[in-house]
Amino acid sequence: MFFRMLRGALFRQKSKMIMIAITIALGASLATAMLNIMFDVGDKMNQELKTYGANITVVPKASSVLNGLYEMDEEDSSAYLKEEELGKIKTIFWAFNIVDFSPFVNTTATLNSKPVKTVGTWYNHHLALPTGEELDAGVTSLRSWWDIKDGKWIDEQNTDSDKVAMVGTVLAEREGVKAGDSITLSTSHGTETLTVSGIFDAGGDEDEQIYTTLAVAQRLSSKAGQLDSIEVSALTTPDNELAVKAAKEGPASLTPKEYETWYCTAYVSSICYQIQEVITDSVAAPVRQVADSEGNIMEKTELLMILITILSLLGSALGISNLVTASVMERSNEIGLMKAVGARDRQVTGLVLTEILITAIIGGAAGYLMGYGFAQIIGHTVFNSSIEMKPMVIPIVAVLIVIVTLIGSIPAIRMMQRLRPAEVLHGR
Amino acid sequence: MKKQKMFLRMISASLIRRRSRMLVALLAIAVGATILSGLVTIYYDVPRQMGEQFRNYGANMIFTPSEADALTRKDIEAGLSHIPADQVVGCAPYRYEGVTIVERPYMAAGTDLSEVQKTSPYWNVDGEWPSASGEILVGKNVASTFAVKPGDTMTLSYALQNPDGTAATADEARDIPTNDVKFNVTGILDTGGNEEDYVFISVEDMTSLTGNDGGFDVAELSVSASSEELQRYVDNINDEKTAVSSRLVKRVTQSENTVLSKLQALVFLVTAIVLLLTMICVATTMMAVVTERRKEVGLRKALGASDGSIIMEFMGEGLLLGGVGGLLGSFLGFAFAQAVSVNVFNSSITFHFLLVPLTILVSILVTGISCILPVRSAIDIDPALVLKGE
Amino acid sequence: MSLLEVKNVSKIYGPLKALDNVDLTVENGEWVAIMGPSGSGKSTMMNIIGCMDKPTMGEVLLDGADISKESNKALTAIRRDKIGLIFQQFHLVNYLTAVENVMVSQYYHSMPDEKEALEALERVGLKDRAKHLPSQLSGGEQQRVCIARALINHPEIVLADEPTGNLDEANENIVLDIFKQLHREGTTLIVVTHDPEVAEEAQRTVVLEHGRLVKEIINENFKED
Repeated sequence: MFFRMLRGALFRQKSKMIMIAITIALGASLATAMLNIMFDVGDKMNQELKTYGANITVVPKASSVLNGLYEMDEEDSSAYLKEEELGKIKTIFWAFNIVDFSPFVNTTATLNSKPVKTVGTWYNHHLALPTGEELDAGVTSLRSWWDIKDGKWIDEQNTDSDKVAMVGTVLAEREGVKAGDSITLSTSHGTETLTVSGIFDAGGDEDEQIYTTLAVAQRLSSKAGQLDSIEVSALTTPDNELAVKAAKEGPASLTPKEYETWYCTAYVSSICYQIQEVITDSVAAPVRQVADSEGNIMEKTELLMILITILSLLGSALGISNLVTASVMERSNEIGLMKAVGARDRQVTGLVLTEILITAIIGGAAGYLMGYGFAQIIGHTVFNSSIEMKPMVIPIVAVLIVIVTLIGSIPAIRMMQRLRPAEVLHGR
Repeated sequence: MKKQKMFLRMISASLIRRRSRMLVALLAIAVGATILSGLVTIYYDVPRQMGEQFRNYGANMIFTPSEADALTRKDIEAGLSHIPADQVVGCAPYRYEGVTIVERPYMAAGTDLSEVQKTSPYWNVDGEWPSASGEILVGKNVASTFAVKPGDTMTLSYALQNPDGTAATADEARDIPTNDVKFNVTGILDTGGNEEDYVFISVEDMTSLTGNDGGFDVAELSVSASSEELQRYVDNINDEKTAVSSRLVKRVTQSENTVLSKLQALVFLVTAIVLLLTMICVATTMMAVVTERRKEVGLRKALGASDGSIIMEFMGEGLLLGGVGGLLGSFLGFAFAQAVSVNVFNSSITFHFLLVPLTILVSILVTGISCILPVRSAIDIDPALVLKGE
Repeated sequence: MSLLEVKNVSKIYGPLKALDNVDLTVENGEWVAIMGPSGSGKSTMMNIIGCMDKPTMGEVLLDGADISKESNKALTAIRRDKIGLIFQQFHLVNYLTAVENVMVSQYYHSMPDEKEALEALERVGLKDRAKHLPSQLSGGEQQRVCIARALINHPEIVLADEPTGNLDEANENIVLDIFKQLHREGTTLIVVTHDPEVAEEAQRTVVLEHGRLVKEIINENFKED
């Protein structure tokens, strides 16, 4: 009989139950969307912050000492990194977090009998890694703030010749160079005639420099197979006490357990450490301007999203419990009647609660799917990528819905128990 | 006149004597209004608050001399006058001079170190920032070359007859009379960038080291403003053709623009979706509360009430509920936004008075519409059926 | 001219003929009872006379004007001006006091007037209960409020649907006494009931069965005092 009554309530009062289900679905979708976004916003913002460029620089170990001796005369620097080791950066423990990197060779060449700083690097260098992963690495993305005033970025993948260059806007203006022109650079090691692919505005010192391919710069400085520095852009976890301790006192100061935690977390310091392990004689250091700020902004964004999530959870919780209260109150007549024909409080409560919980489960399931949709809409609109759905959101939302529905029923149940059947049936 | 009094009497009786139901409705509206005003406040404040966080990336504007060799303090102040003072986070002028340390050439920068802490918050100093005269901040690479620690001393030599002001090479330095000044090392600077190759002293110490007040080579500014505003300031300064020429640090401004616009879009979409769903929640609750009164609608119709007057009465209630709920919500929402701001950004937010009428208006609209729908459907039904149907 | 003329009225709900070719005439000041078992079409009859429903076929003349083809809006206006309704379940607005419930009717009709409303309550013997909510009143008292509300606008016809259906005998008598009083004052009364005792009080009783008017009884004992 209980089930018959239940069925009657659920199906014959369809519109009312549908309304409750809709509200619960809305609340659940809100909770689902917000929780998923909250859990994923860190990764997403991290990706976005990559626009600030590399957060780790790798230089030869000796250079920091030797630089002092030879002052800005990199050509004579005897320390270098090996080009053939570059691929190893994508083999470290946190390889997946390395989103981009680019090698640099610096030299001073002569253009129109004036000295010009010339930099050789990657632009969109195609890497096919032993892991099967493919990656286009280089400054096209690492220097995303550069404006190409004339011409275009050097496209390594579609250019046969490596004799191409990009000229800084200040230098280009002074020397009257335009995209498509040929320029001749010479050093004591040789002369190269390069086609200008584009003129860039970097808003910094680079505006007076020439950027060319790695091979050209290596030939001009006779540093075949050698690199002066590598810039790495990595997704990192904001530093905590452990990371600060490791960075300050060195990994050796950590206990084995701390070391393991540190090594297996994507702190900028542990990624630096892992890069040093694979690149011979290298020093990898965080670029504080980028690394620190990144952590700071991510922390704030996550906290902001957590608080907005809490607000919307509270909102949907109140909304649901409110409607449940309202809809049970509406049925005081029917409940009074049930009590009049001899139903005990517990039976009435049980019936009403079961009805609402069944509705809640249906509404909650629909809400989860809707929330999935909302999260993806936000993900694609804002970040152009989908939001990862964390499985742990499902139990959180489920528990939330059940608790909220039950809490919402409390005032209604209390009212139901106080209800005297006579009052309901007569003294309306 | 009498008629309006009865109207008000009926509405207030409905609100007061049906207390529990009305509380349910009021609560729903207030929650909706809280979310509305809270999220909209946050949405408007996020760019400003986040913008301040982005200042951690350091200087986003640079002053350089336009024609003369150096900038004076006056020139810098003239440039600064184009930017509202409350937007300037910091302004650090730099004077670079070549010096030698133990026969090796280095760059020394004379600057206002308390401003540098504002323009370059990411500088990580092991030890203390110099605060008194005769103290020096040493870049990490320089420090490791000489193996100095905080507490050690370091002697800077400046070649007095180096008329073009360029760095003296080690060879030249031997033949030229130098001014040697001993500094106390207070801290080692770690930035991961070029600064690690420099040493930093105060402007006054630089003047006494070189024996002249040579002005500044560059001034770095950190300005908390949108990219359009920044561009306008730069244009204004450059149009005036003073001694200062100004430009933006593209890496910082452009990237900030990209990231901040994403963040704002995120908060916007989240706000929109949360608001949409909340409004629907409020509407369903209101509908449930009003649907309960179908019978009353039928009765009023049987007593000869026109459709219009019934709608008017329910709207009156909705208006009152929406107004009170909206008012309540706009203050609760502000309290929430304030709490978020204090917790996340450690700063308070400004109260947008315009949001109060807006919140109330939206609450009234949502309440009104969600009242009208069930009332309309009750009206369309024959009063006889409503009254008969138990 | 008769006050109310129902001519060849039928009301059809799908396959069901709720009313089948019914004729009824009510004169001004008359007290008529409509009797019949459940499902005989009493309620349909009452709805049509009360301007809450329209017949499928036939004419209903009120004051000589055909109301059977009027729009819902016009029916509402006629109901407001000419009909006073009394319900079995009273149907008071539960958050308004007795006097306010009476005033609601005034409000929709013309002008609410608290003094007049109190006088109406006094007539049904409820002056001291005027400030009570319906839930604080007994069934009989609620029905009397309902009667006061029906009378307040001086309707041409008072239409009562099982007015004593929810009342005990004592209250039933009170209500019937009020009806007698109304009749003496010249009010036209139409009472729908299935209770012969209530019907007996009327001047004339018409009996409905399966939607047809089967019998008309003139009360010989009716005392016009």
